[in-house]
Amino acid sequence: MAENSGTDPAVETNTEENAAASATIIKVTVKTPKDKEEIAIAEDSSVSQFKEEISKRFKANQDQLVLIFAGKILKDGDTLGQHGIKDGLTVHLVIKTAQKTSGGGSSQTSASSGPGPSQGNTDGSANSSPAGNLGTPQGSGPSPTPTQPPNMLAGFGDLSGLANLGMGSANFMELQQQMQRQLMSNPEMLSQIMENPLVQSMMSNPDLMRQMIVANPQMQQLMERNPEISHMLNNPELMRQTMELARNPAMMQEMMRNQDRALSNLESIPGGYNALRRMYTDIQEPMFSAAREQFGNNPFSALGGNADNSGAQPSRTENREPLPNPWGPPDTAATTTSGTATTTSSTTSSTTPSVSNPLGISSSSLGNGMFNSPGMQSLMQQISENPQLMQNMLSAPYMRTMMQSLAQNPDIASQVLMNNPLFAGNPQLQEQMRQQLPVFMQQMQNPESLSVMTNPRAMRALMQIQEGLQTLQTEAPGLMPSLIPGGMAAGIPGAPLPTGVNVTPENPPPSGQAPTPTPAPTPTPAAGTNTAQQQLMQQMLQMFAGGNASTPTPEVRFQQQLEQLSAMGFINREANLQALIATGGDINAAIERLLGSQPS
Amino acid sequence: MDPHDSTFGVQLFIYDLSRGMARQLSPIMLGKQLDGIWHTSIVVYGEEFFYGGAGISSCPPGGTMLGPPDTVVELGNTEVTEEILMDYLSSLGETTYRGDKYRLFEHNCNTFTNEVAQFLTGNKIPSYITDLPSEVLSTPFGQVLRPILDSIHIAPPGGNVISSQNNHG
Repeated sequence: MAENSGTDPAVETNTEENAAASATIIKVTVKTPKDKEEIAIAEDSSVSQFKEEISKRFKANQDQLVLIFAGKILKDGDTLGQHGIKDGLTVHLVIKTAQKTSGGGSSQTSASSGPGPSQGNTDGSANSSPAGNLGTPQGSGPSPTPTQPPNMLAGFGDLSGLANLGMGSANFMELQQQMQRQLMSNPEMLSQIMENPLVQSMMSNPDLMRQMIVANPQMQQLMERNPEISHMLNNPELMRQTMELARNPAMMQEMMRNQDRALSNLESIPGGYNALRRMYTDIQEPMFSAAREQFGNNPFSALGGNADNSGAQPSRTENREPLPNPWGPPDTAATTTSGTATTTSSTTSSTTPSVSNPLGISSSSLGNGMFNSPGMQSLMQQISENPQLMQNMLSAPYMRTMMQSLAQNPDIASQVLMNNPLFAGNPQLQEQMRQQLPVFMQQMQNPESLSVMTNPRAMRALMQIQEGLQTLQTEAPGLMPSLIPGGMAAGIPGAPLPTGVNVTPENPPPSGQAPTPTPAPTPTPAAGTNTAQQQLMQQMLQMFAGGNASTPTPEVRFQQQLEQLSAMGFINREANLQALIATGGDINAAIERLLGSQPS
Repeated sequence: MDPHDSTFGVQLFIYDLSRGMARQLSPIMLGKQLDGIWHTSIVVYGEEFFYGGAGISSCPPGGTMLGPPDTVVELGNTEVTEEILMDYLSSLGETTYRGDKYRLFEHNCNTFTNEVAQFLTGNKIPSYITDLPSEVLSTPFGQVLRPILDSIHIAPPGGNVISSQNNHG
């Protein structure tokens, strides 16, 4: 290229001469994805001159260089000045590697080799991740897709911190989704959850897992369609491996990455993308929806995530979140682990049944002091604040299934409960639990108990009881032994409702305060295993009964507050009353509620 | 040289990862108003590109689990062809923008978007986005949370990871 400034050919090597000749030298930064260099060049040079310098500095062929500045590609015939390239500015450089065709070719080979090794992995992982890879066996059919991944269980239980619960999602399913999303973006949570001994103990029980999975009707459908799935599920080795994988997030990530890579390789194979797509729609989607419905197949979803399936859309579902429903029935709850405190789960399990079969369990948890963990409190609070939530949760399809399967199979329930590390240290408790299990189950089935759970006031009452009990515990530990309300025996199996109405007819302490020894006999120590827990339980009973007896109607109860509110200017008595009820008589909270409900 | 004078529109998709919660809670928690936790991606040639814990990924626009963007900003036009961009992204993805290089505060999706935006159009992305990490870190709360947040990798699922073998030019 002839230089226009009339400089000798030496200009390419000696810009100084050029400088001396006319233009000023400017320093332009040339940036590649990998590094950047500062190149001194004459201000009025042409792009090709610039490229010559660059090719020398970056050791690349001039033809391979693509220079970009301000979104424009610099063509050889242009000058730097034309594009406004001045001193100190940055020009981007891309060094073209191979051409498209060869690129395609190489990607093809790499793709085939990719799936090769990953096939090894995948098979291993496929085997080990039955649930996750349910799609895989079929996937492996069509050639290079060893990793077919329908990430099915992906959608599983979302967890997300309890903090999110109840926030903004009326629909439980949506809640799940939110949780899932959160979890996915927060690997910390996953590892926390994994570390939860509850989860671990659950996962180490392949039978349980299998049962849970099988119980899901959608899963059953899937199984019919794809016999390999059931095969996988029935293979204990596989399950164990899968769970191992689920437990080890690092491994999972490894696998996922491999899957990802293999899948992406797949894409570049002509027709590969379509195969992927097909696989996704045929296998993954149904699984995905099955997964969404299912409650807590934790380990499997984790697996699912881990088992390949990434690539194409699957990555979206590549979820490693197990997390079942935090408020599942006692059992599930026990297995559930809501991602919050470990204690929460077990306490949750204790609480829910407490509605129907409270004392037996909650007292024990009380005894353990779990009941009052902050996680529990917030859980309770959310429940009481958002009755819809409870409702949704309970109506979630799989809940029913779960409860049913639990009821039918008390063994699993007991197994899970027994394995619950909380109870592990306390054989007495275990005994208690075991005895009460069948009753428990019934309670859960009892629609009344269900309705109670959805009743915010009831939940609130429960909370208050909790608090009261806790206070009692701390303030007057000596009081407990003296609390030997007769209602105990009646209480436990009697499935007293939280409202305590039926609970203890024999225990009519007026203000539910210090439970007074009732006329009823005291079967207390009778059980033999009766320890402080039972006493606590009785206490609870008392509170229930007492609390109720002393509450005429909300209106009367909140008489004073209502007056205060109307004095403040809140005219709408109905609304005031509602607010007061919802907040349990707390005026400030009620005011906030009232104000919040107005459009602002 | 092919006379490639056609230009392509480049857009910036901005997502609020907190879904509005940051706007409400930030005054309380941080002491200053943050309108959102921004995640951004570049959309060009009908494809969305973003960086996350999984490396550089691409997907159909709005195709991640985050759903549709909260805001779309026009960054301008570029002459850079898709082929060149893919080359560029592949190199980036192998070096500075590998998955494991993700750092929530210093080297995140917005860093990537900023760089690609400059590459494609010469324009940077709006500064309120790139200023976010320092805004958060300048609060005591942010400092306290820093160790936890550092380990968070935002990786919105739904994209394919771009690698050099995957170069669909």
